[in-house]
Amino acid sequence: MTLRPGSLTFLIIAMAAFGTPGLPYAQAGPKPVNVYIDSVMAADTNEGTDPRLAPMGQKLRGLFGFSTYSLIGHNEGQTSCGKMIAFTLPGGKILHVQPRAIDGDMIAMEIVLFDGTHPMMTTDLKLKNNGTLIVGGPRYEQGMMIISIGASTGATPPMQAQATPAEVNTR
Amino acid sequence: MLLGAFEDSELEPNEMQEVAFHLARCESCTGILAEYSTIGRDLRTIAVEPALNGFSRAVIARIDQLPQPVLTRIARAFRRQVDSVSSGIAWGGAVAAVAVMTIILMTPYAEQLANRGPHSTVIARVENDAAPVTPSEPTMADNDSHADISRLESENRSVAVWSEPRRDTTVIWLPDQP
Repeated sequence: MTLRPGSLTFLIIAMAAFGTPGLPYAQAGPKPVNVYIDSVMAADTNEGTDPRLAPMGQKLRGLFGFSTYSLIGHNEGQTSCGKMIAFTLPGGKILHVQPRAIDGDMIAMEIVLFDGTHPMMTTDLKLKNNGTLIVGGPRYEQGMMIISIGASTGATPPMQAQATPAEVNTR
Repeated sequence: MLLGAFEDSELEPNEMQEVAFHLARCESCTGILAEYSTIGRDLRTIAVEPALNGFSRAVIARIDQLPQPVLTRIARAFRRQVDSVSSGIAWGGAVAAVAVMTIILMTPYAEQLANRGPHSTVIARVENDAAPVTPSEPTMADNDSHADISRLESENRSVAVWSEPRRDTTVIWLPDQP
């Protein structure tokens, strides 16, 4: 059988047309999304980094210039695309996370942060699987509050605080 | 006169019929026809058929050597050009398709490699008191980020967004309003 250039072109175009678009849909189905929340108080009180924050403490020190990082809460929960999960955080903050779709290695989600009943921030984003989004800035006690939001589709959680079982709040 | 042509089946159908009717009644003509047949058979056995190996090729070569009219030569040259161009187009199409496939499949990896910069990138910063982040001002993260922000709404007038590729982290900073 002779492979003519014309038939080779057709073969490649057919592969591109029917093969490539199918890749994102290969992961269809109600895949669970694990959401991990760490609430941290950051201040300039020279008290160092809470040992429970390791290895996240190193990341926080690299990102911000505070001298004190203290874990004030840890939440985690499991949800799936289209299902909103709510977390009650220290300082009267409430966080809503709703995964919308899993596109390859990215998790599309909507995040809404409330101060009590008042929405402070609403964002739509695609977060890399096992990636972290940090929302910070609101005042908390003698410092500022930093909320680390991680999401993963597998069993491996993103880098997070090492909270003891008693400190973990599931939602 | 017609017997030789009859023997060679070269007559019109009506003539063939007439000769056949005549032969059925005429012994003399039948004898002559038999002689014709014998002579023909003998000639065929005597005659030596020339070898025809390479005959058609030789004829075509001779034809090619004959002087051709200008228009025929131009048409022939044009046809050869068209053949080679269409073959080139087909190969070019194949190569282009392969290139497009490579680009489609390799782009995410190329972006990942290209964006391994050591710097952090400020994606958006809103510090103008008169311009809060609103739905009409969607904040897009650039390719350095591990989070791609397509919408950010806040009443806070000093929202800042940046990414730290080395730490796989995107930061949204919402300082308290004074």
